[in-house]
Amino acid sequence: MQQYFENIINGIEKTIREDPAAASPRKKFALEISKLGRDLYAGRRPVAWCGIVAPFEILNAMDITSCFVEFIGAMLSSTGAVATFLEGAEQSGFGTDGCSYHRSVLGAAEKGIMPKPEVLIGTTCPCTGGIAVIENLAKIFNKETFILHIPQDESSENVRFLAGLIKDMVEFVELRTGIKLNRNRFLEAIENSNRMRNILGEVYEMARKVPSPFNGKELNNFGIVMSLFLGTKRGIEIAETYRREFSRRIESGHCGVPGEKIRLMWIQNRVQFKNSIVQMLEKEYNAAIVIDELNSITWQPIDPDDPYTGIARRSLSIPFNGPVTRRIDHLKKLCELYKVDGAINPNNWGCRQGAGSRGLIEEGLKEIGVPVLNLEVDCIDSRNFAEGQIRTRLEAFMEMLENKRS
Amino acid sequence: MSKKKYIGFTCAYTPLQILDAAGFTPYRILPIGDPPDRAGQILHDNLCPNIKRILDRALDRDVPPLEGMVFVNSCDAMRRLADAWRRIRPRDRVFLIDLPVTTEEHSISFLKDEIARLTGTLGEWSGNEIATDDIEKSIKKYNRLAALITELNEKFSSNNMTCSRKEIQAIFNRAVTEPIDSSIEFISNFITENDKRSNESDAVPVYIFGNVLPDPEIFSFFESCGAKIVSDDLCTGSRMIPPVDISEDNSPFYSMAKSLLMRTPCLRTMDNSKPHRFGEDIVQRAKARKVSGMIGHTVKFCDPYLLRLPAIRETALKEELPILLLEGDCTMRSIGQHRTRIEAFIEMLR
Repeated sequence: MQQYFENIINGIEKTIREDPAAASPRKKFALEISKLGRDLYAGRRPVAWCGIVAPFEILNAMDITSCFVEFIGAMLSSTGAVATFLEGAEQSGFGTDGCSYHRSVLGAAEKGIMPKPEVLIGTTCPCTGGIAVIENLAKIFNKETFILHIPQDESSENVRFLAGLIKDMVEFVELRTGIKLNRNRFLEAIENSNRMRNILGEVYEMARKVPSPFNGKELNNFGIVMSLFLGTKRGIEIAETYRREFSRRIESGHCGVPGEKIRLMWIQNRVQFKNSIVQMLEKEYNAAIVIDELNSITWQPIDPDDPYTGIARRSLSIPFNGPVTRRIDHLKKLCELYKVDGAINPNNWGCRQGAGSRGLIEEGLKEIGVPVLNLEVDCIDSRNFAEGQIRTRLEAFMEMLENKRS
Repeated sequence: MSKKKYIGFTCAYTPLQILDAAGFTPYRILPIGDPPDRAGQILHDNLCPNIKRILDRALDRDVPPLEGMVFVNSCDAMRRLADAWRRIRPRDRVFLIDLPVTTEEHSISFLKDEIARLTGTLGEWSGNEIATDDIEKSIKKYNRLAALITELNEKFSSNNMTCSRKEIQAIFNRAVTEPIDSSIEFISNFITENDKRSNESDAVPVYIFGNVLPDPEIFSFFESCGAKIVSDDLCTGSRMIPPVDISEDNSPFYSMAKSLLMRTPCLRTMDNSKPHRFGEDIVQRAKARKVSGMIGHTVKFCDPYLLRLPAIRETALKEELPILLLEGDCTMRSIGQHRTRIEAFIEMLR
């Protein structure tokens, strides 16, 4: 795996060297993700496998290579290698009714291609399955876990509780890795985290422009993966590259999807393996995916004088946390800000957090006149992907949106 | 206040003592009956059948008049159930208890605060502040009920009850749907009336674990396959009413929180220091019952169990305890499809 990431890094760097104009924001993003992937496998620094809302700036400040486990599932799927690992997990008894992000991670761990972690940090948000995967990894790697209970709302008591828990987590990590959290490094990470947050805020604001300055792939899996770069200069650089490019595009009147007619919101995860959905939407219907659910800033800058409170607030702020009405309100707001005509919700098979909210989200967005297409797909496992069926449903949905506009 | 003022609940982690102390009758909405399947349209078909059936009962108005609902954030599906409930019964008062995953001190402390918050809310719902004395009395009553259920289980397990497991399940269901005083009286009488050595049978002793299996008929079905379910680890069975340890000088809220988290757990709970301990404990409990084998019956799409069953199976195999894993949807029709597998398993154990 390390070689795989090295190859990608070398490839992108070579392309940029030969043609600096090819240094698109997406390439920069892919380059940094690949470097993170390489670091995970290089064995030079301790690794932490985490839940999605873990405080990554703290771990980054401690020079611990940290990542949420679902990243591995998405990566294996995007490379087309996931089937072997899913089958491995299924043969070990992990039922196919579960989330395939998680199953692929377990298959990978059993086959020895998950880097051995020094610490495991589970987060109860967004899902129950994620915690169970952390427990399985703890068993496989014979490691203790630390679980961050993410309370259901942002009451002051809950913020205080979570802030205290994050402090305890730091002690846990320090004890297991022998690495102390240096105060200056921590403050620097907070500053970086805030800078990245602010720049991303500008990027997302620019993305609201009609027509959209970017195409449907440029901000794919963006917000959620950017959290891995919290507290780092790399994160600031990626965000800055996007800001610069979007700004240039807006000034020049560039349109991400030429002749943009329909603006779409993508709910939760993209389909991670190679597929023609985005291309079809753009080429055949001039439809642009202008916003992904998690491409938004839901938290306030972190106060360096009280960093744990700010980090706790951010973890609580993810729209997946709390009652579904909170998530629906967030989606409604995005629909309005981004002038969305319709939304696509790929109810990832096995995701109780996502699929379990399907009907309620559909009904919620209907209240503001935004139709939702619920796709029944597995975002990781391409073995059951029926492209023809998906195409038929997308065609019908797009025709309906076209008629609605006209 | 009449004891028939019901508060609905759906999870075995609900602190029933507080509901009782507030003057309400806790009413567990069990996934039984035969309401039409409609919940999948609101949630998703690919979601826990326990949740869907509970919602179907609500959609079918197959619940008594309720003063409110208390949900527990024990898993994704339970959280979604609370969301869906608010949507289909917007006039109901709803409370969601946030339940930590681990059993550490900070989790106990957090849950203690949640129970205190519930107490405040139920006080508002009932119109009376709930006194500590009343909570302590309720704890004692529920401890009595838990002790009776344990006694019933123990006597049945050791062939000292002349009743069927089906009857016991009906008693479990009654204990979480009827006022506690009448349940205590009923179970006490039942134990007295049936406290005799039962006839020897050639049924194979089996331990059952999993989550939700409330239909008494299902236990007759197991018996018809040649199994005697001598003991269980089910949230609609022996895990339904955990006692509260009041031996230490703690506040009632703390004692309840600690007892709830330290109880025989649903596998949604985990021990940070020893991964899969709770799954492994199930195997040890089964072995302690000297059974010939164990059956794991879980509802479909249950992530906490789906992702832990392989570890349990591995432990059972290491311990040379035969194990059969089944999935169902809380109905007789789904378990009926497993007859051949169960019969073959029992044959193998003979």
